[in-house]
Amino acid sequence: MSERTTSERDATPDPTSSLGDSIARDWSDHGDELPPADWGRRTGSRRTGTVWLFALFITAMAMAHAWLTDELTSQAFLAWATIFTAISFQALPFLVFGVALSAALIAFVPTSAYQRFIPSKPGRAVPVAGASGALLPGCECASVPIAGSLIKRGVAPAAALTFLLAAPSINPIVMIATAVAFAGQPEMILARFVASLLASVVIGWIWVRFGKADWLRLPSRTHAPGASKWQVFRESMLHDMMHAGGYLVVGALAAATLNVMVPREWLLAVAEAPIISVLVLALLAILLSICSEADAFVAVSLTDFSPTAKLAFMVIGPIVDLKLIAMQAGVFGWRFVARFAPICLVVGLLSTFLIGAILL
Amino acid sequence: MNRIAQGLTLVLLGAAALTSTVPTNLYLNWVKAGFGPFLIAAGVVMVLLGVLIIVAELRGESHALDEEDAVPEDAVTTASSDGSAPRSELDHVTAEYGNGGGDGHGHDHSVAPRVAWLLLLPVIAVFVIAPPALGSYTVESTGGSSGPPPRDERVPSRFTDELSQAGPEDVVPLDIQQFVMRAWIDEERELSGREVELTGFAVPAQDGDGWYLARLQMACCAADAVVNKILITDHPAPEADTWWTVRGTWVEPEGDLYDVSEHEITTTSVDEVTNPPDPYE
Repeated sequence: MSERTTSERDATPDPTSSLGDSIARDWSDHGDELPPADWGRRTGSRRTGTVWLFALFITAMAMAHAWLTDELTSQAFLAWATIFTAISFQALPFLVFGVALSAALIAFVPTSAYQRFIPSKPGRAVPVAGASGALLPGCECASVPIAGSLIKRGVAPAAALTFLLAAPSINPIVMIATAVAFAGQPEMILARFVASLLASVVIGWIWVRFGKADWLRLPSRTHAPGASKWQVFRESMLHDMMHAGGYLVVGALAAATLNVMVPREWLLAVAEAPIISVLVLALLAILLSICSEADAFVAVSLTDFSPTAKLAFMVIGPIVDLKLIAMQAGVFGWRFVARFAPICLVVGLLSTFLIGAILL
Repeated sequence: MNRIAQGLTLVLLGAAALTSTVPTNLYLNWVKAGFGPFLIAAGVVMVLLGVLIIVAELRGESHALDEEDAVPEDAVTTASSDGSAPRSELDHVTAEYGNGGGDGHGHDHSVAPRVAWLLLLPVIAVFVIAPPALGSYTVESTGGSSGPPPRDERVPSRFTDELSQAGPEDVVPLDIQQFVMRAWIDEERELSGREVELTGFAVPAQDGDGWYLARLQMACCAADAVVNKILITDHPAPEADTWWTVRGTWVEPEGDLYDVSEHEITTTSVDEVTNPPDPYE
């Protein structure tokens, strides 16, 4: 726990600005162990207030660790907490990796490089972006901030969105995981690749045709001309971590709750119906928010369902799920998500039915 | 959320990732062992970034970045190079700047949205709750275990165990998942008459008849855990969630293996074990 003490030491109080209400307000969102609402107003500085707040938080955690941890015995709550922590920590390395890569794209790759490699006509850029999704290993948590930085770098939004969908769906690690899970069923691997790529590219083209730029709320970054590349890198990383990370936790909370509360028997009851079963597994993929690198193993375990239903689980999961919706809302805004997620769902399902009918 | 708070949050989150991997093995309760190095790397990066942010803030160097209020160069180049929608992109940027700062919408650099406070929840989860591995509660609430693998996948390469290599008199250690796989789809019935050794936790049967030796199989993290369990009726049920190593022989069912819903063994020995390092298979 040495890091905790480091953090307190680093944050030496520096009284310059006045403490606004915002800290107390922010804090009161947060849950238990609250200081009173007027706490900290007497101190002179917003920074001092923050440091005190964290010191109090750490003390409260230490006390809770000492007295509360052994009291937490409710099995259902612990199972929920395990799944919440599991989803958060499983996504965390991918998030950090994706955020670092996207910050590097912003800070170190000049805009001209994109103009050279990606066709400037969005209609042609979309398939290029879809195919390049097959190159980047990572899951959906990584691709959201990367897509954001591509758009900021002048890549056509439709192409960046296609990349956002294709990268977690058809990257090498996902395809290998699918091949391992569905050993002896090469048609399932092919179906997943084709259906996901088709859906990503079609959604990109739909966005080219109908998308409006003001649906996308991108943080228009301003960097002082004098800022060094490393400063830009650092600031981009912080910004994306805070936005995408916060919403990742929202998604993990929702997914863990549903994971614990929805019994598997409900699903098995509908496994026999042909079209309903496909829709049910698509819905399950949205609710469970399983990382795209693991979803093939879950799909193969849902043995009562038809191959097309399993394909729907693997096609829909990487492009629409609770965690992803929350993260996209953090990076692009709710106006965007309210339009984008339904399009993804509909196109993904159509693509699943089409490819499922041809290949499976 | 001001910059000091953002920096401290990152440091705490990184500390949580490092605490659950380096001095303890807590992370094995939640994710695959293969995630360990990645969690350590992510933890180090977050702590470093958090410290850098705090140091920069205390030196006051970030304000040059924050208070710039012009339309960014990027957006202008975007508008001129992207032939499709130059107008609206630029309008969008101007609109963003028109509606004033301070609403936490990302263009004020120094303020993160409220939702970022939620990043402290995993920190609380690790340091206060320290969630245990999924156990008997999950097995009971999942009800029936997952179904058998599809029929048409019955190729010998799906068996990753060492049953075929071992001599006929050897006691073969198997994962519970490997045992269940054999019991379900091995038409050769190689398990028949072989003594196997299995390790898992005890789950009392809900109808009171016997108990299960169970283990959760994990592909990536606990959210995708799948239950595998084996029925034992010839040994008194131990306390739930205690760990046992059981030696015994498969109770070979009549008829088609594929139709069997529960797999059973007769035990020759049942020994309590301390928790294995990795609770999942």
